[in-house]
Amino acid sequence: MRPVSSPSGQRKILFLNPKDNIAVCLADINVGEKISQDGREVSAVEAIPRGHKIATADIAKGDGIIKYGERMGHATKSIATGSHVHTHNVLGDRLSTENT
Amino acid sequence: MSNSPSPLFGYPRPDGRWGFRNHILILPLHQALSTAARDIAEATSGAVAISHDWSGEIDKDFERITKTFAGFAGNPNIFTTVALTIGTEVESGIIERAKKFSPTPLVEIKLSDAGSMFKLVTNALEKVTELAEQAAAQSRTPAPWSAVVLGLECGGSDAYSGITANPALGVASDRLVEYGATSILAETMEILGAEHLLAARALDPKVGEQIIEVVARYERSINYEGIDIRGAQPSRGNIEGGLSTLEEKSLGAAKKAGNAPFTGVLEYADRPTAPGLYFMDTPGHDIEQLTGFAAADVNITVFTTGRGTPTGSAVIPTIKVATNSEMGLVLTDLIDINAGTISDGTQTLEEVGQIIFDEIVKVANGQLTKAEIGKHHEFNLSRLYGSTL
Repeated sequence: MRPVSSPSGQRKILFLNPKDNIAVCLADINVGEKISQDGREVSAVEAIPRGHKIATADIAKGDGIIKYGERMGHATKSIATGSHVHTHNVLGDRLSTENT
Repeated sequence: MSNSPSPLFGYPRPDGRWGFRNHILILPLHQALSTAARDIAEATSGAVAISHDWSGEIDKDFERITKTFAGFAGNPNIFTTVALTIGTEVESGIIERAKKFSPTPLVEIKLSDAGSMFKLVTNALEKVTELAEQAAAQSRTPAPWSAVVLGLECGGSDAYSGITANPALGVASDRLVEYGATSILAETMEILGAEHLLAARALDPKVGEQIIEVVARYERSINYEGIDIRGAQPSRGNIEGGLSTLEEKSLGAAKKAGNAPFTGVLEYADRPTAPGLYFMDTPGHDIEQLTGFAAADVNITVFTTGRGTPTGSAVIPTIKVATNSEMGLVLTDLIDINAGTISDGTQTLEEVGQIIFDEIVKVANGQLTKAEIGKHHEFNLSRLYGSTL
């Protein structure tokens, strides 16, 4: 096995692209927790599980969710900075029906 | 093309292709011969076998199945394929087609000639032993970078796939393509939502149009069938892991192909004819994709996984790269490389990309992968029209 590292990790968040309005949480984040990395900081307004996304900007209903600098879907309701961004407030633009 | 000298050693085939293994494949061309094939392979070091569920049905999938068997039998990692047949015309047709692809003379052993299953097995064992001696006598010779036909695959994706293992594999793939190798991205469903980015990287605008069309064709077929794939893509496991939309999964999956330009688009199981980066239209099913790769000359595969998928091929060495340390440090009998270090913050993408690149070279030169050691020899026929007659 190469390479080997501690699974505990040091990083808690990953900002992927300057155009993004989300970041990826690399650990379970608690309500009110301030997470900073590489000079950027965001405060979680709710608990966010590891691997899930946190809003790094206020996102209006219908706006694109931008990850890797690319559009991955849109907001189905307004999303405040620090919120959990997932299937409850995001839908894909393709092969998804708003009515269901 | 780079001036970097190739450290590769492989088996040159008469038609110019290269193998990085020298297997004898025992290929049953009827499902009833699958057990015999397995028994023969188990009795002979150097032989591998597959099993399947096809019994010669001539239906709408016949062409696809024929192409898959013929291509698989001619994979360059094979020294010789020994086909076991009942003795039907359908099987003869496949063998004729396979001969066109096969780098070495293909051997057919017919049940109708042998007279009994017992005699079929003993006849085959005698022949396979002789072939195994010949294969073992061959030695590796220095191979150029263009010998590599790399398959890019992911399975059991999680929210880390797109930020750790996939882009690290992209670094390795880009380097190989720059050196003059071939690399193939696949899984049409898993580029849906990212196809415009891939199309923009096409060397020829026609190739870009083909990439868009392959995805559009897939989308039309889903709408035509009335299938609701949202329950499956992203899957429940993907959603639990943090992936919210199909586009998000696709953007992450496409990172396996790095940033190199696209040379062409391949239909399922079609062989690339010149070096470069390709997209192949395949199902999302991991084993059907790997089988299509084998039929298309792929001689080494890197498979990224968030869950530790054990999938392997009888003929292609498959390197498993874990997307997260939580799984990667636990399933050590399945995982060759842990890319979770990237999200742990202990290694960079470039560093893990280099590790994957080095591993590809070592495995090409003979180092066994975990999937090979565990004899994960999966094979699945891909059907477009559902069940057989």
